[in-house]
Amino acid sequence: MGELTSMALFGLGLSLGAFELGKLIQKKCKNPAANPLLIAIVLVIAVLQIFHIPYEDYEEGGKLISIFLGPATICLAVTVYRQVRILKANVLPILVGTAVGSAASILTVIGLCYLFRLDQVFHVSLIPKSVTTPIAMEISRAQNGIVPVTVAAVVLTGILGAIISPLLIRVCRIKNPVTAGVAIGTSSHVIGTSKAVELGEIEGAMSSISLVMSGIITVIYSLFL
Amino acid sequence: MNILKQCFYLLLICFIGEAVALLLPVPLPASIISMVLLFLLLLTGWFRETQIREVSDFLLGNMAVLFIPAGVSIINYFDEIRSVWPALLAIILISTIVTFLVTAFTTQLMIRFMARRGRSYAAPEAGVSEPAGSKREEM
Repeated sequence: MGELTSMALFGLGLSLGAFELGKLIQKKCKNPAANPLLIAIVLVIAVLQIFHIPYEDYEEGGKLISIFLGPATICLAVTVYRQVRILKANVLPILVGTAVGSAASILTVIGLCYLFRLDQVFHVSLIPKSVTTPIAMEISRAQNGIVPVTVAAVVLTGILGAIISPLLIRVCRIKNPVTAGVAIGTSSHVIGTSKAVELGEIEGAMSSISLVMSGIITVIYSLFL
Repeated sequence: MNILKQCFYLLLICFIGEAVALLLPVPLPASIISMVLLFLLLLTGWFRETQIREVSDFLLGNMAVLFIPAGVSIINYFDEIRSVWPALLAIILISTIVTFLVTAFTTQLMIRFMARRGRSYAAPEAGVSEPAGSKREEM
């Protein structure tokens, strides 16, 4: 058994299979809480625990997947480029909105971490929680945070954002699609953006621009932490 | 469309980003540098979107898969999290709501400010809404 599971094929196949299952479950539930990534992570952990497979075995295949994180992050530039017209028309509200919003995200995390008397390592792990995963991982790593905790926090933030954003938009009577998009993208990155796309084309475009902007801005802020 | 050529271009940009990151005095992530670089190349027209379209669509469309290994490695930190996870969840919930409201409020303020100065926007200026301020007391 050990010989088989320590092959790169195992970790790779398990990850892809778990994700496909996650997508299937999402299609059946149509609920933002049934996030394929979250389901896949839980499934893989369950398999490793149940069959007593060491994490290092899984990592053999896992690291093959992680290699593509960098190139995928870079492709976010293409998303922004495709929306460049709407970006140019709203450049100041987007810049100021994401800059102030990202600052609010960082400050509330730091404040609450002190309130709950958490260890410093959790501060830096949670600070990038509203930023898209590849950027958040970089920030967390640079600050010596626990990267997996950051990933979990980012995914939970995104799912939460996708669930409560439409609610907040209704409660606060936000009627301008630009405002709604910037708020969703800044607070809940790609997963929130998938909800923004459902709300409308402008919301989706603004949200994807904002998630990249807030990512870059949070990187810059973190240099001063 | 030549997928391998597209991969090569993408990897080349990644590589340049890594090289620039080593030279910079501040610890900026290489992937962020490469991202900005690609955006500037596209904007100036030195590089066309069609030259990496299929590969970037594939990576963007399947991005979530790439985070599975990072997420699974939380298995190694179960002991650290056991006692603090309710606090972590509370922080995530509160902070996400505050971030949303502050961003919405600021953006709305900027849009109004710009509109007053007579600039036109792609989005309809009508329906400018009640900003989020009134709701924030709940926090």
